[in-house]
Formats: sequence, C-alpha cells, structure tokens
Amino acid sequence: MVIGVALDESADDVRSLTEGISFPVLLDRDHVLAELYAVSNVPTVVWIDEDGAVARPNSAEVGTDMFFKFTGVLPDEHMNLLREWVRSGELPADATTAIPDLDDDEIDARLAFRIAVHLRRRGEPSAADWFAAAAELAPLDFTVRRAALPLQGHSPFGDEFFEFYAEWQEAGRPYHGIPRG
Amino acid sequence: MSTVTVLTPQESLEIRGQCVDDLVLVDRDSLADVLGWELKPQGLCRQSECVPVVNSDLLHGDSVDLRAAASAVGVSSMLADDTDLVALSVPSQRRSEALERRRAPNFVLPDLAGEDCSLDQFAGRKRLLVAFASW
Repeated sequence: MVIGVALDESADDVRSLTEGISFPVLLDRDHVLAELYAVSNVPTVVWIDEDGAVARPNSAEVGTDMFFKFTGVLPDEHMNLLREWVRSGELPADATTAIPDLDDDEIDARLAFRIAVHLRRRGEPSAADWFAAAAELAPLDFTVRRAALPLQGHSPFGDEFFEFYAEWQEAGRPYHGIPRG
Repeated sequence: MSTVTVLTPQESLEIRGQCVDDLVLVDRDSLADVLGWELKPQGLCRQSECVPVVNSDLLHGDSVDLRAAASAVGVSSMLADDTDLVALSVPSQRRSEALERRRAPNFVLPDLAGEDCSLDQFAGRKRLLVAFASW
C-alpha cells in the first residue's frame, strides 16, 4: 500500500494533487518526516516491509514523467522494481545503500524552519528572519529552502528557485538518499 | 511565573517557565510533559530507562534547564529568545533507527480530513512511504 505524506502548510495546498486517490494522505506541516527520515527533497520514497523494516531507503522516485526534463527520472524502472519486491520480496542491489545522517546544521535548519512556520501562523513578521536563518544553515536542502518560497509569497518556480537550483547543481546535487547512477 | 512556548515535533505547548540568556528554565513536571523524560536523583528517566546526569548541572534553584536536559537525551533545541519560543528536535536515536538500524520509525500525522493516522497502524503490509509536496 501507499502512504502519502505532504510536506505542506495546509490540506488545501495538496487537494488538487490528491483528487481520486484512495490511499491515505497525511499532512506534515512541521516537516516531522524531514527530521525522522532525513528527507531533504521531494518526492522521496521509502520501502517499508511487513515487519516495519526499511527494505529500501530514501530514493527520489516519481509517479509520472512530468518533471523528466528537470530530474532525468522516469517512473518505469522504479515501478518495475517495486512490483518485483511486492511479488517476490526480491530487492534491488541499491537497497543496501547507507543514507548519511543529518549534520548539526541540517538539524538546526529544521528547527529554525519550524520556528518560522509557527511564527508565520501567528502572523508575526519575524517569521522572515527565521526562514532566512534556516536557509543559511542548510542552503541546499529543498525541504528547508524551497518549501519556504510559497510561505513567503514567492513562486516555487520563480527566480528565487532557479537561483537556488543553480547553487544545488553546482554543489553536485546533494541529496539524503540513494544516488542516481 | 511567565510562560514559554515549546515546539515539539508533534505539537506546540505553553508551559510555565522563563528564558534566561540561553537557558530555558522550567519546572520538573513541565520538563516531563514536553520532553518525556523525568529528572530523578539517578538521572533523566523514562519508564525503566535512565540517562545518568549530574542533577546540579541541570538545576537552577527549583527549575530545570530544558535545553541541557534535552541535549542529554539526544534532542537538539533552538531558542527564539525574543518571543520565548523554543523548538525541540526529534531525538537523534529515532532517526538512527531508520538510517542505521533500518527500522522504520513510527509517526502520527493528521490525514487531509484532520484524523490522526500512523505508520504502525498499517503494520503487516508492505508500505511505500511517499514524501511529496505542492512546492
């Protein structure tokens, strides 16, 4: 089964994406998953078996070819691997990949982000300072930096994003998950 | 006594306490409420488990330094002192469960209708956890 977790501020932000979906979709306003599973970008998928073991850790997989131009990732290969695992329990070789833990700055960035969204919900202008502090601590983390764009009135596809995206490319596309070959 | 807002990974709680420089001083009961660990003579304790700490390192009069206590049990904290707000992280060992021990840590989050839902309630099935976002 699929369990979707939206790292978004409100259920309304995701309703257009979840129309017609029958599996559970949860709302993670405070990015608990980004702390608990070291998620640093979306989409990130984790395979979890019947006994609660992580069968295959964080990886950037997609359900459609919509962002192929950006990500170079197509859904088919993952879907085939996933079907094989569900059918026979067989895991791909990359399932044993070790995912590095968050460093202190990445943890602090998540705390600063949580302070920022809390202050924003209270309507306090100082939220902006905390979004900035979070971005400074983890400048290449999408859950910190890109997630903050719409919360600050910017488009997630605006100039700020493309500036960030260029920095991320330049830095070798860091990601807490199975690297792309 | 004034109040402090504590942002835990699950909720935001108003507790009695005060920020003094970098310290967040709270009473013992509030410490147990927000951290899940109780200060006892032998250390910080949760059920049968205790992390040894020197009580005098954490105590300031009758109050406990929440941030030092959190740090002793693997919880990072960040203080927004101008608003008496402190955020506490997920305990680092819970993330190690996922990354090193390969055990999927449980979480409880609301579904889009606001009903709480957990990872563990679907135990016994193969699960594909998909973190996504509108951004």
